[in-house]
Amino acid sequence: MSLLKHVVVIGGGITGAAVAYDLAQRGAKVTLLERGSIGSGTSGRTHGLLHSGCRYVADVEVARECYSENVVLRKIAPFLFEKNGGLFVAIDESDLKYKDFFLKKCEEAGIPVRELDRNEALKLEPNLNPELKAAVLVPDGTFDPLKVVLSFLASAKLHGADIRPFNEVVGFRMEAGAVKAVKVFDKASEREYEIEADFVVNATGAWANKVARLAGLSVPVKPSPGVMVALNARIGHRVFNRLNKPGDGDIIVHHRGTSVIGTTSWVVEDPDRVPIPREHIELMLRRGEELAPIVSKLDVKAVYVSSRPLIGAIRASTGREVSRSFAIIDHSREGVENFASIIGGKFTTARLMGEKMADFVSERLGITQPCRTADTPLAPYWSYFT
Amino acid sequence: MKYRVVVRRCKEGWGKPEYKSYEVDVDPDTSVLDVVEKISLEMDRALVFEHACHHGVCGACGMVINGVERLACVTKIGGVARNGIVVLEPLRGFRVISDLAVDKSRMFKQYALVKPGTHEKVNGVVGIEKLLDCLECGICYSACPIANTFEEYLGPSVIAMSYRSTIDGKIPAIIDTRKGVWACHASFECSARCPADFKPGETIMKIRKGLLFGKLEVV
Repeated sequence: MSLLKHVVVIGGGITGAAVAYDLAQRGAKVTLLERGSIGSGTSGRTHGLLHSGCRYVADVEVARECYSENVVLRKIAPFLFEKNGGLFVAIDESDLKYKDFFLKKCEEAGIPVRELDRNEALKLEPNLNPELKAAVLVPDGTFDPLKVVLSFLASAKLHGADIRPFNEVVGFRMEAGAVKAVKVFDKASEREYEIEADFVVNATGAWANKVARLAGLSVPVKPSPGVMVALNARIGHRVFNRLNKPGDGDIIVHHRGTSVIGTTSWVVEDPDRVPIPREHIELMLRRGEELAPIVSKLDVKAVYVSSRPLIGAIRASTGREVSRSFAIIDHSREGVENFASIIGGKFTTARLMGEKMADFVSERLGITQPCRTADTPLAPYWSYFT
Repeated sequence: MKYRVVVRRCKEGWGKPEYKSYEVDVDPDTSVLDVVEKISLEMDRALVFEHACHHGVCGACGMVINGVERLACVTKIGGVARNGIVVLEPLRGFRVISDLAVDKSRMFKQYALVKPGTHEKVNGVVGIEKLLDCLECGICYSACPIANTFEEYLGPSVIAMSYRSTIDGKIPAIIDTRKGVWACHASFECSARCPADFKPGETIMKIRKGLLFGKLEVV
């Protein structure tokens, strides 16, 4: 057993879970550390949208990647998703002008979409704005984010991974240009301990720079929060999207008994201090009402905010210009050879992020097993607890 | 508004729990969960609690708030504080991991016995999938007098999920036993406290009726 390479994955969100699962399946000894409970950072606080990729058609490669991961997730864990599709709806003339571009790009990206006439769209989703001018049906889906993260972790546990929520990384012991051990504060016992590692993966998303700083390193992540408004009723089966370039308040996602309007985008320094701007809530409700007038009749159940881990190499002020694809940061360039960070990406593409990160770590550690996560059914989330 | 939040804290190796107070100054419409998160980030980094979605779909943040089981994320502090005080305790009926976090394995381990689906039928619409309204938060176990005293009880949510996700109308045999629907004393605390209006109590009664009148088949 001592021959097994030990990888410490920091971050118990969807990215860390996917990395842990992939490496454990390839035979590495994996320990995952999470400062809070599972999915308590950005991952738990997503919309819950299984992207078709259509939202990102301006970048065909990103859209294609998104759709192919959407298909993989439907296949390996059908029980986690409401696979009802989504509608992109044109409400005004500017939306209508975007339609031809949108359809062309969807075709280029290989995403199967179908234009519906007004009556057909309203028959499928009676709560949509009856004034709609065009509608396109796309392969979106929805999910309960926590259960998806737990399914990845349950799968990791089947391969022997040790998952430790409430264990916060507080420092690193460095020796000869490498991390020798990770220093951890266990909140359940209020004790500090060290855990030795052959390799450390920093999968803390919007917190990646905060964690990297503990090792004297830096990660160009731009925490980019978005506000979401959950309604006290569910108003549709399929995701409602505004048929236009991504913008504020242009999507309504439904799952279980609720519908969520989102979202906005700005940039903050510290993802632990993000006040919710009141005007964002009003904006969500106003824009949501344009898509589905019934929004004005409903009460707000909850308002929440979470920070995307956008890649910040490019200077930008709003966070929407930078790439939505992910990046692996190899810290050996900064003199720490067994430490890498992963930022960017989307919940939908997390399995692929896990695969690429595990490829990177495997090459470093001499693990020869290939990735099998795209073809292996995920374990059900409830097995995480047993 | 100023509030005093009193949290039942318990760590490994402590003989007994202690109650610790935190003074916070927040808007009355702030969720109890956001207040707990603020305390954990600004005042007490060792405070252990569970949370994920912050909008009432994942079921992680169930806790006992001023004596009543609620999801902290959809509970506004101004609506539950009494004289400016809010007492937070972990759910009952589960082993406490630390502070407000409990080990829900006694609920999730029952899933192997009944193999529930995760989707339910949507009335009047064909070809539409819907995840069950049940959030699997454990609040019904905490509220149920039987689940609190009878360890082997399948539990309100698990019985209701199993029934609501059945496609062919057949239910697992274990539901028709002393560990299943016949353990229930019909207090309906589960339904009264359920944050998703999943009505486990009513479902248990429906299953009993179905079994008594031979309308439900067990497999």
